[in-house]
Amino acid sequence: MTRNEPSINTKNLTAVQLMELDSCTRCGECVEWCPTYDASNKDPGLAPRDKILRWRQYMNKSYGLRARLFGPQKIPEEEIEQFKDDVYKCTTCGMCGTVCESGINTIELWEAMRANLVKRGNGPYGKQGMFVKLIGEYLNPYMADPKDRLSWIPDDVKIADKADILYFGGCTAELRQQKLAFATARVLNHLGIEFTMMGEDEVCCCSALIRTGQYEIEDIAREAARKNVDGIKARGATKVLYACAGCYRTSLVDWPRLLGEEMPFEIIHIAEFLEGLIKEGKLEWEKPFDNKVITYHDPCHMGRHVGVYDAPRFVIENIPGLNFVEMDRIRENQRCCGAGGGVKAGVPDLALGVAETRVQDALATKPDILSSACPFCKRNLSDGRDSLGLTPNEMEVEDLIVLTAEALGISLADCEDQAN
Amino acid sequence: MTMEYFAGVSDALRMTFVQVMILATLSIMIFLYGMYINLKKWGLGAEGYGQEVSNGNLFTFIKTLAYQMSAKGHGHGQSVLVTLVLDILLQRRILRRSPVRWFMHITIFIGWMALFVMSLLMFLVELIYMAGIHVDPEAFRELLSMPNDLFSYILMTGVVIAIIRRLFMAKAREATIAYDSVLLGGLTIIMITGFVADGIRNGTLWGLGMHNELAPPAALFHVVVSLLFCIAYIPYSKYIHMIAAPLALLANKGGE
Repeated sequence: MTRNEPSINTKNLTAVQLMELDSCTRCGECVEWCPTYDASNKDPGLAPRDKILRWRQYMNKSYGLRARLFGPQKIPEEEIEQFKDDVYKCTTCGMCGTVCESGINTIELWEAMRANLVKRGNGPYGKQGMFVKLIGEYLNPYMADPKDRLSWIPDDVKIADKADILYFGGCTAELRQQKLAFATARVLNHLGIEFTMMGEDEVCCCSALIRTGQYEIEDIAREAARKNVDGIKARGATKVLYACAGCYRTSLVDWPRLLGEEMPFEIIHIAEFLEGLIKEGKLEWEKPFDNKVITYHDPCHMGRHVGVYDAPRFVIENIPGLNFVEMDRIRENQRCCGAGGGVKAGVPDLALGVAETRVQDALATKPDILSSACPFCKRNLSDGRDSLGLTPNEMEVEDLIVLTAEALGISLADCEDQAN
Repeated sequence: MTMEYFAGVSDALRMTFVQVMILATLSIMIFLYGMYINLKKWGLGAEGYGQEVSNGNLFTFIKTLAYQMSAKGHGHGQSVLVTLVLDILLQRRILRRSPVRWFMHITIFIGWMALFVMSLLMFLVELIYMAGIHVDPEAFRELLSMPNDLFSYILMTGVVIAIIRRLFMAKAREATIAYDSVLLGGLTIIMITGFVADGIRNGTLWGLGMHNELAPPAALFHVVVSLLFCIAYIPYSKYIHMIAAPLALLANKGGE
């Protein structure tokens, strides 16, 4: 009698991650805090604890004691397909990792499982499969001509060919939410800071591919990282500014991993950059807000993923006329906006459900403005607000850099965001 | 040679030190085989992100762990010493989430580890005694008597809280699966058999009025159950978290 082949393999999972599966004590903290489990009416399959349990069982059925003695136990394909669906209904926000009593690095674990399932032919989920074609062909996920990356730049904005500081705009700001790119460029000009951009040489940071486990397909992500890093070096930059939390995280954590080398430049979020300038007394606020209540949503990619919490708060607290009120769930305990991990593209209803809950968190502080430091968060929180029947007049959702620009007296009236 | 002191096992049951040693050795071998399987299983992973997977090499896990512990963290890294003291020994991450569950877990942890260490010490003293070196096992046993009682009650406190949680807290009860029950069940059996064996030997309430003659078999039963659950069964059950959770905390620099 021939033995079964194992139904799963361990591709993309590290030895430590396989050990982590055995470290789960099933305390249930992750279940309590998971935003997608919550927004899915507590679908048990989405509970992080349950996902760890299932993969551990798959591992034991395939490579455990029983498998060694009697051969691997077959796992029905439908079961693995269901598991794939559940693993992809996760924003990879990392809340489960933050509360994990065993300290499991769940963000990396979910992404590794996704990459494994992609190689196995199960992943990704729904429209997420389009990322490969779009980014591979257009070098951005919006099917835009790379030349369009420059089309938003107004005549008054001065961008040097080479400079010590480079602003990495990112696909969403350059091709969709151009107000954010406007604001960043004009703030830098206003402050007399010379900067350069990559323009049409800029390539998607590939966060979407990495988060959805597709980063090894056709080596797109690695090549994109290479092009970006080389492009940045060619422009002589030693500091790279990001106003997008997703690009920031990807450059900081994923590019060095993809390329197997340290980045030859400093990676800074615009909020950190502004914090430094404010401390040096370089900002003169010319147009204070009219006593507005503001709350701040920590983007997962900037907060839990890499630990930047104070800088955006420092900037907000220094903008005159803004009364900063914190939500209940902030910093490392923040609730995700729902857009990350490919969920916005793959499972939009779920993304909206999470966003509505986060907007309700904000509404409890009775704010005029809900701010963030990530265009993707802004987009999904805006959708959540609209879905709850609120208008922008009732609660504005705006990015930190746009608020900064306004308070500096910089007009953004000539800029409109593109349709989605 | 008969063994008078080892866990109360005496000639009355025709149990010899050698037989208990065989049982202990067997338990350790089962444990080691289980850990070998686990290391082989973990070793099927890659040594780093994006790298090719290994073929189940026994050292892959150790190399990956060492690499990850020394790698640069983003925003949330702490020293091995801090992780060891605050997160592993004092279990700070559980305390942050639930003081009650922390109290439950820390009492089980302290009680379990202390009793395990004391049993090991007693065992070593008896080995030394058997080697002909002058030590007094009986005096040593008496010395351990008070801490033994103390840590047994500490362990019991935690186990009782755990049982109450699993039985009467809807959320915990509904989430309980066999994987959890076996751990708690095993712990409960070890604890009860220990109390009963000690109670019979010393004629206390825990002896349930049983005759002193039953002390050796009761002690033997406790020894067998303890060896099976405390050592042999660890790699094959939820008990593995006693090894894997500290390793995960070390690998992830205390976690996020």
